[in-house]
Amino acid sequence: MTADLLAQTDAIVRGDTSTELVLGIVLFLAVGVLVPFVILLAGRFFRPSLPDAEKALPYECGEPPIGDSWVQFDLRFYVVALVFIIFDVEIALFWPWAVVFGGGDQQVKTAALYDMLFFFGVIVVGFLYLWRYGYLDWVRASPSERGETLLEREASA
Amino acid sequence: MSWIENRFEEGLILTSVDWAQNWARAYSIWPLTFGLACCAIEMMATGMSRWDLDRFGWGAYRATPRQADLMIVAGTVTYKMASRLKRLFSQMPEPRWVIAMGACTVGGGPYFKHGYHVVKGVDLIVPVDVYIPGCPPRPEALLEGILRLQDKIRHMSRAKDPVVEANKEALAV
Repeated sequence: MTADLLAQTDAIVRGDTSTELVLGIVLFLAVGVLVPFVILLAGRFFRPSLPDAEKALPYECGEPPIGDSWVQFDLRFYVVALVFIIFDVEIALFWPWAVVFGGGDQQVKTAALYDMLFFFGVIVVGFLYLWRYGYLDWVRASPSERGETLLEREASA
Repeated sequence: MSWIENRFEEGLILTSVDWAQNWARAYSIWPLTFGLACCAIEMMATGMSRWDLDRFGWGAYRATPRQADLMIVAGTVTYKMASRLKRLFSQMPEPRWVIAMGACTVGGGPYFKHGYHVVKGVDLIVPVDVYIPGCPPRPEALLEGILRLQDKIRHMSRAKDPVVEANKEALAV
């Protein structure tokens, strides 16, 4: 009886029972949610807040700002970034591949060559896609968007 | 002005708040990166390991005025730079401080007589808290300057100003 009670108390103290576990999680969450609010609220009373027009200006290294800081960004840069990553990853993988497998066993070299050719093939598919749909052109429009068929395009070229 | 400022009479609680907030501010002065001329080299040296500005908590140089507390004007301020300097200062959040480092910023320095392009003292543009003479001042001098600024911060009070209170009506007009 006493040993049983002792074991129970021990379990509660160590947080072994599921009630204790849930209580622990609830406490953890409550404190975690509360602390940022308390800190932000406390800061409200102690920090000066003196906004003015010049302070609210967009920061351009002290220069008079040119327009708003929220500007529309040309979506074409997105494709350029993706294309760059394709070639970047290609080079980043080709270089160690060439260094590691450049010399040594003929069998390993052959296997490495075919492995890399497969990888290169996957990249080339992406590259051909870009080429075919005109992503390499800065002023971009697919033939269908220009209102011409592929045959007409080839004929004019 | 914050909520707590100029609201209560000076007392035990308010002086404790003063102490705590001033202590926190005095040991976390983040300077704005503002090296304009040769003084900037000394300022950089102050941040490096030999003089180690960071041991006081002042070493976090900010590249934007939004996060900066202190503007160390290190170097010659030209008229062309003056408007930029003023704008950057006004973009810093309060409380903000300015240190005029070196002879040029204190009063024109070697350009005082013939420098048609140099502002004769940065205090003509922004309010200066601490002047550090020298051409350029040694890193120790800059440390001393920031220590004096620390003294200034330690004496900041949030209590009601008795002079302002006594002349409230006169000031309101």
